[in-house]
Amino acid sequence: MKNIRFSMKKEDCFYLGKIVRKYSFNGELLIKLDTDEPELYENLDAMFVDVRGTFIPFFIEHSQLHKSDLLRVLFEDVTNEADADALIKSEVYLPLEFLPKLEGNKFYFHEVIGFTMEDKNYGKVGIIKSINDTTAQALFEVENDGKEILIPMNDQFIVKVDRKTKTIIVDTPEGLIDLYL
Amino acid sequence: MARSLKKGPYVHYKLEKKVAVNIETSKKTVIKTWSRASMITPDFVGQTIAVHNGRQFVPVYVTENMVGHKLGEFSPTRSFRGHAGAKNKGKK
Repeated sequence: MKNIRFSMKKEDCFYLGKIVRKYSFNGELLIKLDTDEPELYENLDAMFVDVRGTFIPFFIEHSQLHKSDLLRVLFEDVTNEADADALIKSEVYLPLEFLPKLEGNKFYFHEVIGFTMEDKNYGKVGIIKSINDTTAQALFEVENDGKEILIPMNDQFIVKVDRKTKTIIVDTPEGLIDLYL
Repeated sequence: MARSLKKGPYVHYKLEKKVAVNIETSKKTVIKTWSRASMITPDFVGQTIAVHNGRQFVPVYVTENMVGHKLGEFSPTRSFRGHAGAKNKGKK
């Protein structure tokens, strides 16, 4: 595992999960992981904990997966319940370089921001400004001449993700883009 | 009180008609609707429905696991931007 840097900005990190509760009496904590593959993060050396807006590196003494999406960790300097209590509800981050690279039509949400979206029939749709994942179905928020276009993130619509040209080619149903323009 | 079983699920008649036309012509044209209370029936699967949230249309691509839910559930009317003052918390 690569060495973790001590000074980190939020934009250089990705959200790994949230400390949800204590486990045992010796300061162990349970982190609810926000990932589809929790096993990738079972043997980390360290992680950043967002303590009141500051990213503090915590070194891990031991960690193991707990149930489906929880990671049980014991940090080096957290040895009692009081120390553990102070970290509950804190968010946990890792540097972006820790993310395994995705290929093909799979991508991370932060990765495609700024990409150009092209529709098979319509042509250039606009630039992806953000991803709205507050709904049950994530949406691309694409900007076209100051207008916002929403496109559902669905395997049926995504034809190709071209990382070289920073383009996502989609095949949207008839009338979707015209709704907003 | 739950809706009577005799009536069946509520789907706005115009929306039902538009979905039927799309199925008949085997087209996937986006269907605009303001009827957030309409229930998603199995006929809707594979269709894209633009559901109004009071400000704009939110496109919803209907999948099998959405059946039985109402369209409004997939088009939120409010956007959560964080709690007021949360950024300065603990900086006294």
